[in-house]
Amino acid sequence: MPETSSLFWVAAVTVVIWVGLFSYCLYLHARVRRLEEGE
Amino acid sequence: MTRLSNILVWILGAWLAVVCWAAFHYAPTAQGFVGESARIVFFHVPQAWVAVVAFCVNLVASIRYLRTRNPLDDARAAAAAGLGLLFSILATATGSIFAKVMWGSFWNWDPREVSIAILLLVYAAYFALRQSVADEERRGTLAAAYAVLAFVTMPFLVFVVPRIYWSLHPDTIINTSGTIKMESRMLQVLLGSVAGFTGLFAWLYSLNVRLARIALRRRQREEG
Repeated sequence: MPETSSLFWVAAVTVVIWVGLFSYCLYLHARVRRLEEGE
Repeated sequence: MTRLSNILVWILGAWLAVVCWAAFHYAPTAQGFVGESARIVFFHVPQAWVAVVAFCVNLVASIRYLRTRNPLDDARAAAAAGLGLLFSILATATGSIFAKVMWGSFWNWDPREVSIAILLLVYAAYFALRQSVADEERRGTLAAAYAVLAFVTMPFLVFVVPRIYWSLHPDTIINTSGTIKMESRMLQVLLGSVAGFTGLFAWLYSLNVRLARIALRRRQREEG
C-alpha cells in the first residue's frame, strides 16, 4: 500500500500545478484570439 | 488554423492528463524513497528542464535583439525569461515538497537548493533591470546584454555545482556516471512528461509572443 501522506502531497501539488497551468493557458488562448479578432 | 490549434490544445491537455494518470498508476513505486515521494520526479524534472529551455530561448532572442534591435525580439526574450522564472519557481516548490517528505524540512541548504535560489535571483534581477529603464531601446539593449551574462551562470548553477559538492539530492538523472538510473516504466513516464511540459512551454511562449505582437501593433498605430 502506498504511504498515504506522501502520496496525497505529491498528487495534490502536481495536479494543482498541472490544472492551474493548463487553465491559465486556456484563458490566455481565448484572450489572444479575442484581441486578434478585434484588430 | 484556429481549428488546428484547438485540436493541438486538446491533444496536449489529453497528453498531460495521461502523464498524470501514468505517474500514479503505471510507474512503479521507486525504491529507497519515503512513501510515494519519488513520483514527484515526473513533474519536478520536466519543470526544471523547461526552465533551462526557456533560459536558452531567452539567450537566443537576446542575441537576436542585440543584432537587429527588433522590439519583438526583446518581447520574445522577456517572455522566455518570465516562463523560465515561472518553471524555476515550480521546480523549487515541487523540490521543497519532496524535501519535506524525504528529509523532514522544506529547505535544507542543499547545494542544489542554493544554486536554484541563486538562479531565481539572477533572473529576477533581469526583470528588476527591465522595470528600472524607461526608454524602450535602452531597456532592450541593457536587458539583452544582462541576459547573455545571466545565461553564463545557468549551466554552472544547474549542472556543475550539484556535481561538485555532496548533495542530499537523488542522482538518478544528473550524476557523475552520465547515465539515467531509472526503471524503464518510470523513464517512459518521465520522458512523456518532459514532452508534455515542453509542449506546454511552447504554447505559453507563443501566446505571450502573440500578446506582445498585438501590443506592439497597437502602439505603432497610436504613434503613427
